[in-house]
Amino acid sequence: MNNLRTALTVYRKEIVDALRDRRTLLTVLISSVLMGPVVLVAISALVASFESRAELREVYVAGIEHAPSLKNFFERQTYTVKTAPADFEAQLRGAKLADPVVVIPEDFEAMLARGDAPVVEIVLDSANQRSQAGAGRIGRLLSGFGRERAALTLALRGVSVDLLEPLQVEDRDLASTQTRATQITGMLPYFVMMAVLYGALNAALDTTAGERERGSLEPLLMNPLERWVLVLGKWGAVASVGMLIAVLSSLSFLPGQWVLRSDTLAAMFQYGLREASMFLVVLLPFAAAVSALLMAVAIRCKSFKEAQASATVVMLAASLLPLINVFSLGSESPWYLWVPALSQNVLMTHVLKGEALSAAQIGASLGVCVALTIAGVWFVARALRSAAVR
Amino acid sequence: MIAIEHLAKRFSVPSVAAKGSGGLASLRRRAALRTVHAVRDVSFDALDGRITGLLGPNGAGKTTTLRMLAGLITPDAGRMSVDGIDVVAQPGAALARMGVLSDARGLYPRLTARENIVYYGRLQGMPADAANARAEELARMFEMSALLDRRTDGFSQGERMKTALARALVHDPANIVLDEPTNGLDVLATRALRDSLRWLRSPEGGSKCIVFSTHIMQEVERLCDGVVVVSHGRTVASGTVGELLAQTGETDFEEAFVRLAFSADERAHHEVAGPFEGTA
Repeated sequence: MNNLRTALTVYRKEIVDALRDRRTLLTVLISSVLMGPVVLVAISALVASFESRAELREVYVAGIEHAPSLKNFFERQTYTVKTAPADFEAQLRGAKLADPVVVIPEDFEAMLARGDAPVVEIVLDSANQRSQAGAGRIGRLLSGFGRERAALTLALRGVSVDLLEPLQVEDRDLASTQTRATQITGMLPYFVMMAVLYGALNAALDTTAGERERGSLEPLLMNPLERWVLVLGKWGAVASVGMLIAVLSSLSFLPGQWVLRSDTLAAMFQYGLREASMFLVVLLPFAAAVSALLMAVAIRCKSFKEAQASATVVMLAASLLPLINVFSLGSESPWYLWVPALSQNVLMTHVLKGEALSAAQIGASLGVCVALTIAGVWFVARALRSAAVR
Repeated sequence: MIAIEHLAKRFSVPSVAAKGSGGLASLRRRAALRTVHAVRDVSFDALDGRITGLLGPNGAGKTTTLRMLAGLITPDAGRMSVDGIDVVAQPGAALARMGVLSDARGLYPRLTARENIVYYGRLQGMPADAANARAEELARMFEMSALLDRRTDGFSQGERMKTALARALVHDPANIVLDEPTNGLDVLATRALRDSLRWLRSPEGGSKCIVFSTHIMQEVERLCDGVVVVSHGRTVASGTVGELLAQTGETDFEEAFVRLAFSADERAHHEVAGPFEGTA
């Protein structure tokens, strides 16, 4: 009971200390709270620009004067034909032109009439993503023209058009709209985890290496209190800061949803209170474990700066492990759930896909976090005394 | 009352040769360890109502001794007790009866002086209002009431020192241990500190048992009732200033200290190698 009160005293002091570090706290808070809306706006702007391009129904052509029949076809498909600028190749390379360009040879009509199959180029730059996205659409449009010509020619000769298509091909996509959306929103869990990491980082280093650097650790240990009580209070404060960031960044996606500019994306990205609370179930233990881990790394360092260098290892591991999930393209192995940082990413991706998390999945991730926390706190308590005097 | 008997402590540190070689070789095999006897045999008694000075040259083992007394380092041999409580067996109970101002006296820059002091009071198990009242009392004693609600960020050395001392004394301990308390203080701050310590020694101040380490002769001459001379990790002499003068047959306390703390060889070496001897 007495120990608990002492731990609370330490906790309260560390929280006050962390909250008074206004500049650091504000930077972390603003970046974590604004991050959700900003990421969403960026994604939706990208998707919206694809959509608006498709809606515009424009086709850029170089040499349309050589192909009145094609122009007629485009216009019947309600497309606006635009003359490509003379330096379209340079503009495509420089990503100034967002649409692919159709290049028509001079003797287009004559070759067509002879049945010589004129070559029509679709010029694009695959490094220019927007021009690549439009190429498929223009390709389909041109083959539509080809099919129409063929159908007319066959019809003149009294042959059924059906002969040309002995096979009917149809796509059946099993993915739900939400699953498809994770292709776009898949990086959101990653951003949230980074916010938690950076939120806990400063507080964790300040209560350990910072305390050593200031020379306040030695006098602190000259008070009659158990070391684990002291460490528990400190860890509690660091974890609280990390959890605060977790809550704020998870909730920041709720209003973020209102600013979605793309209707399609708004329909696909289902993120309500239920998803936010599932994110927290995954993130809060992660914040606790990361806090303990960062403190354990920092306690051996003599200065804040040295601790920052050592903490880079933890930060790097925590930012690289989730990439395993990103690069495995959806085929996940069972061991993913037992790797910290990776398991959180996997579980949050499930939540975004609209899938329910099983108790076993949450249990594995939670168990690993609890074990890491205990190990970290134990290590700091053990290292505390020798750290104070060295 | 603080009693220390035959205290000893040795550390293993990487030897100078291994440190110097560096590179991959030192990574591959463990650096060769060298044993340093920081404290070989230190004994003294510090009585209540007296100021006991722990006098010794740099590296004599004063700080290590006081760190062992504060329970930060476990001694290899010897016994330490505070008001009869064994420090190794019951560190918590011993620390509750001691106020220690250590060599490191860092404050929390984002907390006010009051919050710094009250925090330690709470850690000593005091209720919040009692700790707060005590902080104000100590502030009056050290003439720092105006500083109390300012953040310690911009404090001068003297102001830091006062805050750290008030923090160490917040639980009104019967025993006060100070490690080089006048380091970095100017004349006025040093005088103020001396006055505070004299008052704490007096019956009105609570007849505290005060131990403080220093390497400055004048401190000891002006303040101490008893002196313990420590050199090379051993207690080499103890007594009042007068007794030590009589023991060495010197009239100058500095001469007496040099005679007690350094061997004849060391003194001769210093005289030959001393930078000012040749020009005289």
